[in-house]
Formats: sequence, structure tokens, C-alpha cells
Amino acid sequence: MKRKSFLIDTTLCTACRSCQVACKQWNKLDAEATVNRGSYENPPDLTPQLYNQIQFIEQDKGDDLQWLFINRRCMHCADAGCVKVCPSAGALYHTKEGMVAFNQDKCIECHYCVNGCPFDVPRYDARQKVTKCHACSDRVQNGLAPACVKACPTQALKFGDRDQLIAEARAAGKKLYGENDLGGLGVLYVLDDQPGTYRLPKNPAIPASIFFWKDVVKPLGILGFWGAVGVAALHYVTVGPQKFDESDDPQHKGGE
Amino acid sequence: MANYVDRFNAADRILHWIVAISFFLLMLSGLGLFAHTFFGYFDLFGGPQQGIMVHKWAGVVFFVSSVLLFLRHVGETCRFDADDRQWIAKLGGYLSRKHQDIPQGKFNAGQKLYSIFAILAALVLGVTGLVIWDPTAYSRELTQFSLMLHGLFFTLSMVGMVVHVYLATIGNPGTLDGMLYGQVRKRWAKKHASKWYRKVAKD
Repeated sequence: MKRKSFLIDTTLCTACRSCQVACKQWNKLDAEATVNRGSYENPPDLTPQLYNQIQFIEQDKGDDLQWLFINRRCMHCADAGCVKVCPSAGALYHTKEGMVAFNQDKCIECHYCVNGCPFDVPRYDARQKVTKCHACSDRVQNGLAPACVKACPTQALKFGDRDQLIAEARAAGKKLYGENDLGGLGVLYVLDDQPGTYRLPKNPAIPASIFFWKDVVKPLGILGFWGAVGVAALHYVTVGPQKFDESDDPQHKGGE
Repeated sequence: MANYVDRFNAADRILHWIVAISFFLLMLSGLGLFAHTFFGYFDLFGGPQQGIMVHKWAGVVFFVSSVLLFLRHVGETCRFDADDRQWIAKLGGYLSRKHQDIPQGKFNAGQKLYSIFAILAALVLGVTGLVIWDPTAYSRELTQFSLMLHGLFFTLSMVGMVVHVYLATIGNPGTLDGMLYGQVRKRWAKKHASKWYRKVAKD
């Protein structure tokens, strides 16, 4: 199966938020009461009931106000920090299309993924189970586009074969964010400004300590344990135990 | 009981076994978080959530009892003399069948080093354990670094535990008696801790 991806062209986004609504409808997510913060951006962040969100980047340019819009969600990384730290195999996993989905039945409520994600995406719902955008894995498996993509009126959101999306964007002379980061992100952005302006990390990365734990400490630990057992056994049958001889004590001859 | 000499009193022994039991509870309940391979160990506790709960509270017991145990013996375990340096240089005579006479106090240099390693590991595991008690409480870097250090000192502790259990049981027959009912054979004491034996024999 070819790897799929989102391609999100922020220059086409009108912030209509059809994507937010379509996602809630398909995934049966509740509406949430929010407070007016003096911005059209609403809700202000991803929540357990909001898998994707239009962020408003409001820039004061002298007399002018410049608005940038970006659809934020799970980035569906190939080297996904959440999958890497998750102790329960299959609670967070890559679908055969390469998207990061979750299985709440396997979630053990440890919360490791929350800090394992470089994009601050995973949320825990009221049942204390992980939840986030899963790229409508149920729709995609049946040949449909994710709900947000289906609803987008300007084609700011696209979904398809990753190689093809990249080739088309290149042919159109567009610069992409996320092509090679973390093994290639499953969400590619066409940005109108620097990644930092969109509050995206310039070079997203997983802390080296995750790899050190999972790829070095873990195998060395297993090796160390059995190695120690082996050395102890070897010592016992070669050098042998440090016995003390009870019978040659002249003081105690004749019983006590 | 002229054949025996007192080595550990009841408080020493109970504290040691509290440390030991909480250590193995922590090992069994933590393995499932350490690697996917060991996820099945959570079944011992009825499930991952229960395992994590046991791990957290056994961790508190282990930390407190480890500190208390260390403090009880710190006067003996943190002082090294020329005999101890000789013990270390000869690796305690463990590499040869020939008996080597290295006079030692109540604890030999290896036991002293192990007690220092154990308290160090307990401190690192305790502090990192508090950081990851709620894995969302601190920054990404600190949380991941603590998880890694917690795993690293767990694996070091496993190696230490295997060595400790071997040397305290079949590796040195008669040693376990002291931790089971508090007394060791006099001839054991003469062989393993001659300086200590001379001292207690005088009293």
C-alpha cells in the first residue's frame, strides 16, 4: 500500500472551518462551550472533542491586520514519538496507509504519548483514553477521503498518495513543510510564511533520550540481566562458592 | 548457640525484606512499561492500570525503606580502609578457588560499594519516578530524559540484584542466615569478616 498523506495549502484556506465541523460530525464529537477571547479562532486549541482546528495567526502590521490560517491536527509522522513511547503495542499504531491511528481498548491510560509528541497533539478524553485525528481511518479503508478533506470547499485540504501530492506541489513550484522531518510527515504544509510564524517547530524532532531508552537501554538491559545470570552460573561451576569448613575447628570437636 | 554470632537485628532484617519485596513488586509491575516484550507481566496485577498503581505506591515504599536501610548502616558502608582497597584490588578473591585472607569489617568492600550503588539507584529512580508520576506534568525533554534514566537505572539495578542474590546465597554459603534469622556461623564470620568477628567476639 502506498503511503498516503494530507497536503494542506494554507494559502487557499479561508478559515470557514468546514473541516472542524465535518470532523465532529463524522467522528461523533460533541460541541463544546467556549468563551469569546476577541478572536474568530474557536475553540482555542485541540481538545478530546476537536481532532482538527483552524488556527488564526493574527499579525499586527501597522494599520493593517494580517491573517494567516492553518489547519492543525495530528501530523501522522513516520517516526512517531507517540507510537515510540507507547508501552501498549497497538494502542497507537500506523495504518497500512501510514497514518497514525489509535485503539482505545488497548490504551493503558499512561499518558506517555502526550509528552512524546513534538506537536502537542494527543488528548485524553473523559474516559482517560487517548484520542486524536486518525485520518478517518474507517473512511480511508473504504476508499473515501477523510471527512475534513471531503468538506473543504477550496481544496486547501487534500488527501492522497504521498509521492503524488509531493510531485504535484513541486511541479506547481510550491515549497513544502514536513517532507523529510521525522521520516516524513503525513501532513504536508504549503506555508505563506516561516514555520515559526505558524507556531510550527522549524525542525521537529523526538528527544534523543527516547531512542536511547528504546533502542539502547532496553536491549542492553535484557542482555545485562541474562549476562549477569550467566556470569553467576559460570562462576559457580568454575571457581565455585566460598565455602567455610565447619569440621576442622579444633575448639568445636566433639559436638556442641 | 555457641556456634553462632549475632549479625543483624530484627529491625535490620525486616527493613531489608521490605526493600526486597518492594523491589520485586516494582520489577514485576514496571516491566510492562519498560518494553512491549514484557507487557504480559501486567496480568499479574489484574491489568496495566492496576500494575501502574502498584508500581507507584511500591515505589514510595521502596524509596523510603531504601533510605532508612542505607542510613542504618551508613557508618560502616561509607568508610573504606587499606584492607578494603586490597579487597577491591583482589576482587574479593572471587576469581580463584584459593582462600585469600583479606581482613574485613562487618561489611566487605564489595558490600559497601553495593550499598552505595543501591542508594544512588534508589535516589535516581525515586526522583525520576516523581517526575514521571504524572507524565504530563513537566516538559517533553525532562519527561523523556527521566523515562530514559528510570529505565537505565532499572537495568543497572537488575544486574546488581542478580549479583547480590548470587553472592548472598549459593555464592557464599551461610551468608543468608544473617538476613533470615539474624545469626551467622562463627566460622563464617572468621572467614568473611575477620575484623568484625574479632570485635564482636571480644564483647
